Amino acid sequence: MKPTLSFDKAFSELEKLVEQIEDENIQLDSLAYKVKQANELIKYCETRLRNISDDIENEKTNN
Amino acid sequence: MAAAQKLSELLNEIDATIYNRFAGKTFWIKAEITDVKKYADKRWCFLKFIEKEGNMVCAEMKGVFWSNTYHHVENFEKETQQPFASGLEITCNVRVRFHKRFGLDLEVLAIDFAYVIGKMEIERKQTLERLVKENEGILLLSNGNFSTINNRLQLPTILQRIALVTAPNSDGQRDFKEVIQKNKYGYAFEVKEFLTQVQGDSAAMLILQQLENIKQLQGQFDVVVMVRGGGSDTDFKSFNSFELSDYVASFPLPILTGIGHDRNTSIVDLMARQHKTPTEVATFIIDKNMCFEKDMLQLKERFFAAVKSLVETAQNKLAYNARIVKSSSPKTILNKGFAIVMHNSKIVTDPALIHETDEVQVILRDEILHSIITKKEINETDTEF
Repeated sequence: MKPTLSFDKAFSELEKLVEQIEDENIQLDSLAYKVKQANELIKYCETRLRNISDDIENEKTNN
Repeated sequence: MAAAQKLSELLNEIDATIYNRFAGKTFWIKAEITDVKKYADKRWCFLKFIEKEGNMVCAEMKGVFWSNTYHHVENFEKETQQPFASGLEITCNVRVRFHKRFGLDLEVLAIDFAYVIGKMEIERKQTLERLVKENEGILLLSNGNFSTINNRLQLPTILQRIALVTAPNSDGQRDFKEVIQKNKYGYAFEVKEFLTQVQGDSAAMLILQQLENIKQLQGQFDVVVMVRGGGSDTDFKSFNSFELSDYVASFPLPILTGIGHDRNTSIVDLMARQHKTPTEVATFIIDKNMCFEKDMLQLKERFFAAVKSLVETAQNKLAYNARIVKSSSPKTILNKGFAIVMHNSKIVTDPALIHETDEVQVILRDEILHSIITKKEINETDTEF
């Protein structure tokens, strides 16, 4: 997961995945990948909510 | 050097001088009151009288109501429907008193109720008018609410990196940090403190300087939180300053205030996003993050429900197809009592390819019948199997 991904972007990507999965024409071959992507997005947000992530620290150092 | 005298001797002389000049006399004075401390149980009220030149205090004297005149304080509040509190400019009758231990003060004997509008209220009104005038088209007033560049800024989805403007070791600082740090959801926050004086004549400029410091680092923060604990109306005054309010109105990061006053709303509150207390600001931030997480978890639930449904549909289709395949397999057909005819190692599907005297194999479930065709004829029966 990209370290600079914003919460908004993560959320909208998750929304997009839900829409794709809810579309019955989805290729089953891609299901496993989409589940992996969704899990990563959720984990990313959960982790960032509970940890001050490195990118924030980096941003500070750069300023 | 002349012989030194005792302190009490000097003070006796001062006392006598004051007595000679002021004994039995009372004076009407007009002054702003500040640091008002009421002790309703004892029926005492201590305060300070101040006079200003511009924004600077140029004269100051302690004042007191004792129990025999405390009813004037109560009457004032009853008659004017406003608290007898710091920031008011009052006209009152006083007498000068000197005490060798407690110093000089003015004992209040009466208040003129006709002069009830506090100077601060007038200043406040003028400041608001000036803000609107000098920010025409930017600062809008609608239904008593002020819409500013600052309070029109969209709040980030998650508020995590906080610039905290507060007084060191203050109740506001402690309350805000405690709620934030002990939030039950375990959310992480980074609170960087920009400590400043929040009361006194220079407080507004000091707060403004800290906001300037935050502006230099604005990429590091999601939001600015400005808090202080409860206090008197005069203490509250810096948050009514024109310069500070003007700066807040156009500040590029959202500002949440928790200035901690039950009755009044400061001008800074009006220019930013107001919450009543530091605790309320902290709770708002935590709740905002919690709402995001809740929405995300709902999305997660929807996602996995859709995945489950998709997998179940696919499994059902697969099971159906497997049943079709199974029912059409030669083994199933043989089990049902049908036979397969083979000629030259090929299944015969076209009887035209078979001729009399040809050798064929009739395959049954358990045996193979090696046969020679003795006769062919068209199947004209309408056999139902």
